[in-house]
Amino acid sequence: MNLYALLRQPRTLVFVPLGFILLGYIVYPAALVLWESLFREGQFGFGNYGEFFDPDSPSYMEGLFNSVMVSVGSVLLSALIGVPLALIFTHYEFPGRSVFSALAILPIVLPPLVGVLAFLFLYSESGMVPRLIQAALGLERPPFSLNGVWAVLLVHGYTMYVFFYLFTSAALRGIDPAVMEAARNLGASSWFSFRTVTLPLLTPAMVGATLLVFMTSMNSFSAPFIFAGGFRFLSLNIYTSKLNGDMAMAVTQTVVLSAFSIAFLFWMRRYEGRRQYAMSTKGTANVRREIRGRWARLLAGAAGIAMVVVLLLPHLTILLLSFVQDGTWTHQILPQVYTSDNYGRLFQDPTFWEPIRNSLNMAVVSTAADVAIGVTAAYLVVKGTFRGRKLLDALVMVPWALPGTVVAINLIVAFSQGTPFSFGQVLVGSFWLLPIAYFVRHLPIVFRASSAAFRQLDDSLEEAARNLGAGWFYAFRRVTLPLIGPGVLAGTLLAFVTALGEFVASILLYVYDNRPIAMEILSHLRQFNIGSAAAYAVLLLLLVSVVLLGSNYLSRGSAQRSLS
Amino acid sequence: MKTRLRFLTLVLCAAVFTSAVVLAWGCGGGDPDRRVVTVYSPHGKPILPEFEKLFEAAHPDVDVRWLDMGSQDVLDRVRSERTNPQGDVWWGAPATNFIQAADEGLLSPYRPTWADALLPEFRDEEDRWYGTAQLIPVIAFNNLELTKETAPADWDELLDPRWRDLIVIRYPLASGTMRTVYSGMIWRTYQDTRVPDAGYAWLTRLDANTKDYAADPNMMFQKLARKEGLVSIWLMSDIMMQVDRYGYPFDFVVPRSGAPVLTDGIALIANGKNPDDARLFYEFVTNVDHTVLQAAEYYRIPTRGDIPKDRLPAWMADLSVAPFDIDWKVFSEQSSTWMKYWDDNIKDRG
Repeated sequence: MNLYALLRQPRTLVFVPLGFILLGYIVYPAALVLWESLFREGQFGFGNYGEFFDPDSPSYMEGLFNSVMVSVGSVLLSALIGVPLALIFTHYEFPGRSVFSALAILPIVLPPLVGVLAFLFLYSESGMVPRLIQAALGLERPPFSLNGVWAVLLVHGYTMYVFFYLFTSAALRGIDPAVMEAARNLGASSWFSFRTVTLPLLTPAMVGATLLVFMTSMNSFSAPFIFAGGFRFLSLNIYTSKLNGDMAMAVTQTVVLSAFSIAFLFWMRRYEGRRQYAMSTKGTANVRREIRGRWARLLAGAAGIAMVVVLLLPHLTILLLSFVQDGTWTHQILPQVYTSDNYGRLFQDPTFWEPIRNSLNMAVVSTAADVAIGVTAAYLVVKGTFRGRKLLDALVMVPWALPGTVVAINLIVAFSQGTPFSFGQVLVGSFWLLPIAYFVRHLPIVFRASSAAFRQLDDSLEEAARNLGAGWFYAFRRVTLPLIGPGVLAGTLLAFVTALGEFVASILLYVYDNRPIAMEILSHLRQFNIGSAAAYAVLLLLLVSVVLLGSNYLSRGSAQRSLS
Repeated sequence: MKTRLRFLTLVLCAAVFTSAVVLAWGCGGGDPDRRVVTVYSPHGKPILPEFEKLFEAAHPDVDVRWLDMGSQDVLDRVRSERTNPQGDVWWGAPATNFIQAADEGLLSPYRPTWADALLPEFRDEEDRWYGTAQLIPVIAFNNLELTKETAPADWDELLDPRWRDLIVIRYPLASGTMRTVYSGMIWRTYQDTRVPDAGYAWLTRLDANTKDYAADPNMMFQKLARKEGLVSIWLMSDIMMQVDRYGYPFDFVVPRSGAPVLTDGIALIANGKNPDDARLFYEFVTNVDHTVLQAAEYYRIPTRGDIPKDRLPAWMADLSVAPFDIDWKVFSEQSSTWMKYWDDNIKDRG
């Protein structure tokens, strides 16, 4: 097809802006960073990589090694918590089951920085839990304390098992119980049928969750930032290198981190592709086995309550902290002096609303762009027949593999001078760079949610409507939209709340005009106003919970599916 | 029932979105008629809000905006924004940061009216930055467990096995203050021998006694207050402010052999958008009255030599400290190599 004919195609109208945005804000910044990493003091070559892999200066390699190890650990730990939990809640019936299964997603409403803070006050050496145990048992020293790598791992396990839990539950619900019955009737033991029937059917869900946890963990910033003062972690190293003015090494580490994450993304997707099983159901309902016997029921109840307490502790800790007068809680096990001043001070501060307004503002703008681009791209990838579909799919998904630090560095490098993509404007230092970062980071969320929705949409429905005389728009409004609506909305709200609490890209990109909630919390922390920081965190927590619970309810769980 | 609940949830979400939009565009911040001066500073609360109020009272037509962050963060930010500077005044950072920024052409020269009241070591030859206060790194301790008598009295005493796993340090790589202190420890021998080896050996022994490196000063103070560690190294002014404001159980010892005293400075950011008001602010926070105020309330020792003795706060009279004799130019050139070496070869190896 020649260029002239191409330009006359109506879909050029869609492709050109789409291509412009993807090229300008994802490909170009990443390519520029790769290019810059090849220069060392103006000299072209692999000098920077030489330093990275230099055995005499092990700090960079150590960072990479730790990042990968912690990520693998996080995947294992999250799977160990999430998968059994999903199995129990899907297969057994006991009092309080539905409440517990809903509460199990609680960690997800804890924004990154806030969650880490809660863990610090709970489980660190001077945290409440070790001190309580110490006092109760009359020990000389706290029995345990959370520090360094283990602390990071535990925080990850707590916040990320949710992905395994959600994905596995959704997949288990989709398994036809008749298949299991067939296996049992053929004489398989329950372990054998689990291993050879259930587990293979769970593969796609497991791969999805593994991918998500691995990426989130490689990306993790606040846990290593707060917990392990000197612990080397690649995403943290990038920040420190930049802070110390070593931009060459910052971009080099950025490239290495991206390469690892993208390689992992494609490797996992290939693995997933080889292990797809189609499920043909006859619509038999999943039967849960009732737990019988008084002791078993009591035990299940007790375990459930213990679980809820553990899951809720971080949230409660933040709430508690927001009422503690600063400086009064030091060597005591529990805080002694309570006050509502922390909230009072916040509301009196004339600039109090600004960070909240900024965050909402940027979340709205970036999410709107995510929806426009994400839904269009999803439609094209799922329903389109053109060549380059795979490429489009890959392009939109690449930010999934790019940690927040990387996205931020890419944007800084690309837009510290005017470019055609920013219409000649320097975007560094402007309001717009941070919303663009939110947009890039959360595009895959909307995209995945929308593609899942489009995939379930049967084209013949729209055709039928058209055949019955409906116009295109009428058919879209009355048939297509109601069908894809919940999925798209779920993705949209998830992108929205994630943008509200975003921390990693924010710390590198914010300016006065757009300083977001997370930076305000950090600033209060820096100035030792832990009470005010916690009060702010409680507000953020409320905001996120409302939106997220609403979305989960609205979409009847498709928020979870859309991620897998 | 089900549909009604779904409808309600939809309404709720719509409400959140609408309020977001309304908030976002409804109440735009800032008064368009006022001029603006943007200040980057690590001074935080209560210093920044206080001077914002004072300045705006004196100049009602100017709106002071400040961003609070660590001094190393300010340097990084000014560097990142080089092509489109957002800040006007950089108020507060160790001189080493300013020397680096000046070398990179990030600062704009300005000669304040009080320039002659300053000794040459407190200022840049080309007027790109001026020292405002002297900050003294001291040995801090938890006074519920230790007293001035039982706490380490000098730097070398920190190496005593008695303090093994009782010292908490703010992770030095990301902190201008701690970089200066650690480099200062190396400087003690480097100034005669011109090799850092003895300093490295000293820091290795300190590392052996260090229990933990805290992510930021706040974490360090928390660990100290909660007795995770009993001893630390930090700025006297910050420690005193913690005690004054929150009643934290801290006290400090000025090391007997002296200290690498930091010069805290002020500068105009190159190509700032509001240079005139920036100068106004610069002069305002460094005039005699406000220098005295900062000394009295925030323990910041003035660099200006022209402050009348009787106006200086009483605590200054009791304080005696011998500053290390440091060639700051050489010091800041060497410092990054030393700190990189420390990070690669000393940390967690002692």
